[in-house]
Amino acid sequence: MKRKNFWLFVSFLLISSMLLASCGNKPAAPSLLRVWIQWGDNPQQIQTLFDKYTAETGIKVEVTAPLEEDKILPTLIGSDPPDILVLSGGDRVKSYFHEGLVEELSSAVKTGKIDLNDFFAAPLDQCKMGDKILCLPWGTDMYALFWNKDMFEAAGLDPNTPPATMEQLAEFADKLTKVNADGTIEQLGFLPDQAWGHSDLYVHMFGGFWYNDDGTQLTANSQPMIDALTWQQQFYTNYGADAVLALSSGWADAYMSPDYPFYTGKLAMYVDGEWMTGPNFISAFKPEASYGVAPFPPPAAHPERANTAVVQGTVAVIPANAANKDASAKLLAWMMSPAIVAEEFCFNANLPTSKIAAQDPCFTSNPKFKVFVDLMASPNAKYIITTPITSELYDAMTPLEEEVLHTGADPKPLLEALQAEFEPKLEEALK
Amino acid sequence: MEELRVKRKWAWPPRLPKWRYRERVNFRIGMLFLLPWTIGFLAFTLYPMVASFIYSFSIYHARAPLEWVGLQNYIGLFKDDLFWKSLFNTLYMVAIGVPITLLASFFCAVLLNLKVRGQAIYRVIYFLPSIVPTVASAILWLWILNPQTGILNTLLGYIGIQGPNWMSNPAWSKPGLILLGMWGMGSTIVIYLSGLQDVPTHLLEAAELDGANWWQRLWNITVPMVSPITLFNLITGVITMFQYFAQAYVFRGSHGLGYPLNSTLFYSVYLYQNAFLWLKMGYASAMAWVLFIVILVCTLLLLKVSERFTYYAG
Repeated sequence: MKRKNFWLFVSFLLISSMLLASCGNKPAAPSLLRVWIQWGDNPQQIQTLFDKYTAETGIKVEVTAPLEEDKILPTLIGSDPPDILVLSGGDRVKSYFHEGLVEELSSAVKTGKIDLNDFFAAPLDQCKMGDKILCLPWGTDMYALFWNKDMFEAAGLDPNTPPATMEQLAEFADKLTKVNADGTIEQLGFLPDQAWGHSDLYVHMFGGFWYNDDGTQLTANSQPMIDALTWQQQFYTNYGADAVLALSSGWADAYMSPDYPFYTGKLAMYVDGEWMTGPNFISAFKPEASYGVAPFPPPAAHPERANTAVVQGTVAVIPANAANKDASAKLLAWMMSPAIVAEEFCFNANLPTSKIAAQDPCFTSNPKFKVFVDLMASPNAKYIITTPITSELYDAMTPLEEEVLHTGADPKPLLEALQAEFEPKLEEALK
Repeated sequence: MEELRVKRKWAWPPRLPKWRYRERVNFRIGMLFLLPWTIGFLAFTLYPMVASFIYSFSIYHARAPLEWVGLQNYIGLFKDDLFWKSLFNTLYMVAIGVPITLLASFFCAVLLNLKVRGQAIYRVIYFLPSIVPTVASAILWLWILNPQTGILNTLLGYIGIQGPNWMSNPAWSKPGLILLGMWGMGSTIVIYLSGLQDVPTHLLEAAELDGANWWQRLWNITVPMVSPITLFNLITGVITMFQYFAQAYVFRGSHGLGYPLNSTLFYSVYLYQNAFLWLKMGYASAMAWVLFIVILVCTLLLLKVSERFTYYAG
């Protein structure tokens, strides 16, 4: 009996000490913070960057990168998420917020004294929902036209003059495409969806998008959408979609290799991001490549749409279940500071989201990279409007785009069907 | 009789039979060894199954209580074109992929069972691909099936056949995946080989003496004698194919899931998309239970039908 009482007493002491420990008004400063990053080819470099935070504050930061896509949701739902989660794109942030999985960041911005004026408008706007801030952009990507100067020269075109309009781009593409006698294609002038689709850019060039400006209505069947798909379709149907696919199948998988068609003289023009101009891609795989980069041209009838580009890229969120939100906010503020943004994105050759960081010679000394920096400051820089159904809509749009481009299908009825399917879903999701 | 019934009555805690001390100790040690598995089973199999069953009748919210919707998820499935598309793609793999793979592995096993020089080396060569990780083999096959530079179309070109756009043509993407699956059929071959070792030689010799040729011996003796192995391989193959995921996930390359034109959107891929990309956990759970029922029905049907073609010696 005495022994039983003794154990009861010990249990009581243990439980009451645990309760007392958890009842404090202010959580004690953590000794360890965790940052999980969805991307990251070089996790060691990212860890070294965050070690600087440890040196400044004494708080250890543990980086996990890259994080697989299917781990993100369990991570956010679980009771022990990281203190900061960095996502490859902002397209699911609104869905996560809708489900209560990520924190609204207004108070974190105040706590961390984050200067929102230092952010470029387009990447920051992708994180906003009304007056709410759901994420903060941490480096970003933009897309422009790349052209192979040697191939231009061989086709009798001025190697230093890229197409000025979308119509001229199609003309150039035709001159640059070589079709063999047996119908197979030797080289392509332009592939609109090389590596992945760029309908978001083309549809902006035609003056629209698949949502209205505030993301409350779906406009998938609008004329700009039809025009954007029809314009892309010609680059397949003009030469036979099967022949184009036979040549280009596997190109995307050669993206990080010297066999990439843009280097091997198989593809003369395509749309790609700023990182290609950095040290890890063209310079690494084909240092002698003679190429140019320019903003994607507008339609001839709309020169005011020149310098239109779409921002897509990394965003940081604080999970709703994060243990110590003040500590997360301070770390987030440190991540967003111009010096850290400059260091990280100079290393990765991605666009800095901080205006101060963008003045670093690392970003301005390379004229090809500067094309993208200038594009981000352009008043025509756009962000992708997202809603809670964005992810599902993308997954439906991808095969639709394939069907139009690769089989020559009429985009209008397909877009009508898409509109009919997703309009009620958006309505439901926004309730 | 009455006394027996009383004795059989359930009682809690159950009374252990009157064992000797040693037996009791052995029993407890045995239970202790079983404990990790039991906890694992309860936490990681039974609990998720029960939870997914409940989720399948509700709309799942990560941070809010479940919203009970009755059969809405199940009804929604039957109205969902992508559900039917994914089911069709999966059934295609089951109906075409499994028999072709079984047939090919049986003939490979028969060849590898021939007493020829270097038999062990041939067996190793055929088995090796099955231990290559799925992701690695899928990436390798992306290159093999490249329509312009891939080795398969190059070989077909030598015999005057223009190979198709394996991975960008919806008509050829699934056959491409079946080829990839056949490359890794080493474990099925090994199981067949073990069955072939058990085919009684006296039967084969007797048939040979009676003038039966190779094909007749194979068809009338070997095939019936390995029919239990065929049934085993068939059922495991069907179950595996119904859950086809990893290869399709990797095989899309840098394109969206289901590329091209949703022709590789298999049931598990669509389930994954619903659960982890679109946060529709309730809908995905309903899909999981429908798949469970489909697999169960198929397995029971196969077992029933197999009574006609399976021969259990002795």
